[in-house]
Order: sequence, then structure tokens, then C-alpha cells
Amino acid sequence: MESEWERDQKLDACIKCSACTAQCPVAAVYPLFPGPKNLGPDLERLRLEGVWLDTSILDYCSNCKTCEVTCPSGVKITEMILGARRAAISHSFSRHTLRNSLLGRADYLGRMGTLWPSLTQRVLRRAPVRWLMEKSLGLSQFAPLPEYQIGFQKTLRMRQKNNINSASSDREKRVVYFPGCFVNYNEPQTGEAVVNVLEHNGFEVIVPDFHCCGVPLQANGNFGAAEENAQQNLALMAPYLKAGLPVITSCTSCGLALKEEYPRVNAAGAERIGLQTYDLFEFLWELHEQGKLRENFQEVPISLGYHAPCHLKAQGIGNPALRLSRLIPGVEVEDLDAGCCGLSGSFGFKEEKYLLAQKIGSPLFQAAKRGVAEGNFQKIITECGGCKVQIKQGTGIETEHPVWTLVKAYRLSSRFFCRNLLLKRE
Amino acid sequence: MWDGVIIGGGLAGLVAGIRASERGLKMLLISEGTGSLTYSSGALDIGATARLAQLEKHPYALFQQKNIRAGLHYFQTLFPEYQMNEGESFLILTPLGSCRTTEIVPMGLKAEVLAQSREIVLLAPREMRDFFAAVVKANLEKEFPQSKVSVYPFRVSAFADWEQAGKAVNGMEYARFWRTEAGRKELKQLLDKLAKDISGKEAGRERSEVAVIFPGLTRIFSEDLQNLFAQFPYPVVEMTDMPPAFGGTILERALKTKFKAFGGEIILGSGVLKADVEGKICKQVHVQSKGRDSLFKAREFILATGGIFGGGIEVTPDGVREKVLGLPLFVPEGWTQAQFLGEQPYARLGVEVDQELRPLDLQEGDIGLENVRVVGRMLAHWDPWVEHCGGGVSIVSGYLAGESL
Repeated sequence: MESEWERDQKLDACIKCSACTAQCPVAAVYPLFPGPKNLGPDLERLRLEGVWLDTSILDYCSNCKTCEVTCPSGVKITEMILGARRAAISHSFSRHTLRNSLLGRADYLGRMGTLWPSLTQRVLRRAPVRWLMEKSLGLSQFAPLPEYQIGFQKTLRMRQKNNINSASSDREKRVVYFPGCFVNYNEPQTGEAVVNVLEHNGFEVIVPDFHCCGVPLQANGNFGAAEENAQQNLALMAPYLKAGLPVITSCTSCGLALKEEYPRVNAAGAERIGLQTYDLFEFLWELHEQGKLRENFQEVPISLGYHAPCHLKAQGIGNPALRLSRLIPGVEVEDLDAGCCGLSGSFGFKEEKYLLAQKIGSPLFQAAKRGVAEGNFQKIITECGGCKVQIKQGTGIETEHPVWTLVKAYRLSSRFFCRNLLLKRE
Repeated sequence: MWDGVIIGGGLAGLVAGIRASERGLKMLLISEGTGSLTYSSGALDIGATARLAQLEKHPYALFQQKNIRAGLHYFQTLFPEYQMNEGESFLILTPLGSCRTTEIVPMGLKAEVLAQSREIVLLAPREMRDFFAAVVKANLEKEFPQSKVSVYPFRVSAFADWEQAGKAVNGMEYARFWRTEAGRKELKQLLDKLAKDISGKEAGRERSEVAVIFPGLTRIFSEDLQNLFAQFPYPVVEMTDMPPAFGGTILERALKTKFKAFGGEIILGSGVLKADVEGKICKQVHVQSKGRDSLFKAREFILATGGIFGGGIEVTPDGVREKVLGLPLFVPEGWTQAQFLGEQPYARLGVEVDQELRPLDLQEGDIGLENVRVVGRMLAHWDPWVEHCGGGVSIVSGYLAGESL
């Protein structure tokens, strides 16, 4: 718990320059949204006096953290807004309560969706189903729902049982991989690619049966459950953290949660998690700097556009994926630098926010389409699964995780092990 | 290992980064937030370089005239849309409608034409929060007594729901809106109507005697807008706006885009906590990333953290401190003077450097750190408010650092 003095320091650090509101992607497209300066430090003073103005507008903060990155005085603006939502949520109810608790449960949805992925896909693609979902749940019928595929962690466990990968005994070369819901339920191939790249560099990759990191829960107002998830995940990691193993994420939102939120959780391992969590490319870049990365890259003749996810920017580690991709012969990468994609996790799935999300993403879509039309690049890379889905829908341009460029440079086979396993079982 | 790490993302740091990365060096720029450039109007002061160079220890005296010329020329080559001519000053309008002169101007801000006018039409966007038509009109009448000033109010339909929600729109919002497709469409209609309305009132005046002032508009870096106004029969003068201002924001954006296009990388939002120094060599800097600090090693470092306002110098009741490297600071005697807008000695507070911009050890008199260069507001012995040379010192020092790395 922060002291009163610390709290005042944070509030007083705001010099009311409005730089945050000038950069806020939501304020730029939504007239009713007063912007981060107002909802954060301005209203915080009133809230501390017990004065609460209309709290429903707080939900329009997309949690992209652009304000915090922008602030020249280091004010934790998003944190104040999230704190206010947390305090306000207990005395509010809307027809979106059910929807928000659903969207928060990315892992439950994932588990359901992956029971019979092809059926889920077929059902979810139907227009009447989407219409019904909008009317009953408030899920926009136009929003880009990701596809479900057999769970990554599930198949990985099967693979480990089948003993395909012989465990390395070198304790120095073990890492924990936190795949996150997008890899787990929507894009297990990318998880496999991450594991392959790490194994190619001689690491044994450990993937405990993790729960959702908690970011969707928090973004949908379920702060208690988010903390429970964090505690469960920390319990799964604790022995590895204690042994000094790095925890690697390939999703920038999971990564930010592990680095920023988990250290505040009351559980064993919380004191280590921030220190030991790495974004995949942050980890690989560090290996490169130490001369420990395998750099037997084959030529990959490709031009790429790169989109930096908001939650990568918020980590304050720069763009290691951009740096590393540029080490591969033949690869050319242009930094699109066109702001937030608009989806912000589940923000853009909601009926009342779908159009806002499209508007927020529109400069990025335009930059991407222009780049392709002018022949500057053919494909887009971005670390975040949400950004990927949104860019794909907004532009139709093929978009993938930057790990795939490495897979090509290493000439790793990209067969999808889950399918192989299923075939074997049959 | 980076060739160079720049600490600070203002004008000086960005110019240094652009020049160095253009020369093929691998550069990383680390900035705590958006630089104070976004508060500025986008017009930049150079000041009287020859006169200031006479002052002992002034940055212009260190740089030498040929380097000053080279640095400014470099900026002009980077951004041909900014106008500057050696020794020449241009008239621009402040957000309150008074006049000032400056040396580097985005084309659209140039206001000389107002001096020849007999009729000034002041556009007044109805909902614009940081624009005060009555004040501006009164100031214009004082500045240009030969001219009749009339206010021309207009509404933008796209902002109707903003108005209804009671949310004021500022100049930044307008400037951005005009750059969208919908904005250009609405602007075209506005200009057509305006041209008709003015020509109806022209009675007895030459067309060349009419000038239009347009707040909340920035045409720089937009060919579409420039083309649109090329068809408008009267000269249009833009106004500088209140911070955070679009003029400064778009300059910052243009600088960052150039830097990235040359391969530079930017970390925004995380300040440098401290640096590790061995002997006279800076080895690496600690960046406050989430979870833990990130370390960045480099061959050379450029300190561009700004002065007291930019956050590079911390002032406490116990004294002053250069926050990253703890460099010795020149501190003038008697910090302040009673006259608020007069010369304030604290403005000259900063780091003393040699001709290569390397920080001096004030006690020893020789170089304190060999692979560090100090640029921009952090330099000692100059006062941007009295000497009107902020842009010039930043551009030239940044250029020289980028050139000498």
C-alpha cells in the first residue's frame, strides 16, 4: 500500500500539460471521452475527497497505456483510471455485466472453443449467430473474432508425455514459457514456433499448465479474479523462479502483466517475477549481445511492415523484434509507427466500442495498405495476437508474429505438432 | 552494443540522432515522455548568432560561425518546408494575436502580408477552447492599425457532437481534423463560402489588400492542404496555438520519422535512471523498464535531457543536480531577479563543455567524460528567453554531436 505522501507525489507530478490527452487514441475519436488527464489525475483529487462523477465513462479507457508512455513527468495515469474502475465497479450493474465476465474469461472461452474447434468456427461465422450475440451479449457482430484451434498447452503436454523432446539436464539452459490465451487457444502454431526457436538455441522449454494472465479479466472489471489467476500462475512458476529460470512471453500484454502487475500480488515468487520475465525477443536480443544466440541465419528475402503493440511500448524495452529481424540477411523491416490498432484486447469486440476501435485503428490500416500498395512490404509483423487479428480485418494484409521470420531464417520445420500427434494417436 | 545512445527526445537529441544514423551509426534514443517540443509552436528562434558569439562561453562562441551555418543548413535540407534565410527574421502571430519575430518558420505561419493589408478577416471556430476571438481582434487592431479587422465565425459539423457533449475542442483537434479526408471536404466548403463572402465585401478594396487569419490550422507536411489553399484567392496566415500545440507536435513527429527511417530506434516513456562510468568513460545506462532495469551499452552517449523545465536538471532546496550522470553544473550567483520577465541568471545554469561538446570537469578544468556529448538546453551560459536562440542552439549542438560521433 502506498503512503499518502507517495500518492500526493504522484498526483503533484502532473503539471496539467495535457500531453497525454493530446496523444490518447480514444479521446481523439470519441467526443464524450474527456481524456486521461481528466479521468486520471484531475478526477483523482475529487475521488480522494469522496466525490464520484459518472463512472461509466471510465470503461472507455482502452488500457493501452499510451498516456503513461507519453507523460513527461512519469505520472501513472492508466493506473489511476484502473484503480477508479476497480472502486466504482462494486456499485454498478449494466446489461454488459454478463458480456464483460465472459470476455474477461479468455481461458474459459478458449477451452470451450477448442473442444471442437471446427464446429465453433462454423457456428461463430454465421451472421445470425453474430447478430444474436450482439443483441443478447453486446458483442459486436462485425468485430474480428479470432479462430479457435486445439489448445497449445494441451498438445504440448501430450508431446511431453510422448517424450518427443528429450529433456536437457543443463540447468543453465532451461526456460519457462508463458504462452498466453492467444497461443493456447487461437494460434498454437506460433507457440510451437517459439518453442522451436528456443530449442534450436539449446534451451529446454518448460510450459506448466498456466491460467490466463488476467489482463482480460482486469480490463473487463473482474479485478478479484485477475488477482486469483496471478496467484495461481505464480504458484506454478514459484519453483522455477526460485531456481532463477527466465520466464518468457510471446504476447506483449501477458508480458506487461507479468512485469508490472504480478510483482504487486501477494504470493511467493511475486518478488522475482518482474526481474525474471522477458519478452521473447528481449531474451533473444540479450543472447545476441552476449554472443550466445545461434546466428546461422539463412537468407529470407522478404520486406515487412512492423507494428509495435501498445503493451510492448509500455514495457520500456524498445523494439527488440525489429532489431533482431534486421540481423537476418534479406529481411527488410519498416516501422509503421502509426499508433494503436484500436482493438485493445476485448475493447473492440463490444458493440458500443466497435466503431471507435475501427476509427482508432484507421491511421494504422491506412499506413499498412499504403505500404503494400507502394510495394514497400508484403506482410506485417507484430507481437500481439489482438493487433494481428485487428490488422488482418482492417486491411486484409497477412499478419504474423515476428518469431516466424526467425523460423524461416533457421530453416526450422514448421509442421504443427498437434496435428502430428493426433495422427499418431489415430 | 550501440554506436550511440541519446538520452532525451527533444529537438537537440533528435537532430543528433538523425545526423548520426544518417551517417550509418546504430543509434538508440531514450526519452522519458514526449519531449517539450510538443509544447512549442513549431517556429524556432536562432537569435543574433554573430552578436551572441561575442559573449564569452556562449554556446554560439564554442560552435563557431561555420558550424552554426552548417547545422542550420542541415536542418533546412531535412525540412525544406521550414523557411529560413541567414540574417532574416519573420513576423508570426502569437495565440493571442500579438506579433513576434523568429527565424525558422513553417511556411504557413509567415504573417508579413498582414502589414500590407487593409482588411483582415479573422476566422473564429465557434467551439475552439484555446482561441479568444475578442482578444485576438483587439491585439490585431493594435498591431495593424491601418487594417480593418472583422471576425468571421464558423462551425464545423464534425464537432457538433463534441459541442453537444459540452467538450471543448482545441486547436490541436482542429489541425488534425483538417488533415483527414472528411476535414478537407468540409474545409473546401468553408473556403468556397468564405471567398464568396469576402468578395461581396471587397467593395473599394484591391484583392491584394485582404488577408485571412486561420487559427487551428497547420498546413506543413500536407500537400493536400497546400493544394487546397493554392486555389483560394486570398493569402491565409496561420496562428501559433497554445500548448500542447500541433505545430510543435508535427515537427516532433517529422523528426522521429526521419530518425526511424535512417534505422534509429526510440524508447519512449522510460527515463534513464543512471549511468555506469569507469574512469572517464561512460559504459552503459540503466533504463527503468517494467519489471527490472534494462541496460544499454554504447560507444558514445549524447546527453539531451533538457534543462530545469525539460527535467534534465533537478532543483531542490538542497541544490541542483544533473540527473543522469551527475555532471558538474555551472551555477550562476544570485539565481533570480525581481523583474519577472527580465533576465534571470538561473537560465544560464547548465553543463560547461569543450568545443567537441564534451563535459568539462569544473574543478580540474579538463574533460570530465570522454565519450559523452552534451547538447541543447543542458548547455551552460545561454538564455533562450532573453537571447531568443533556443532553436538555433539545439539544432546546431545536435548536428555537431551527430556529426562528431
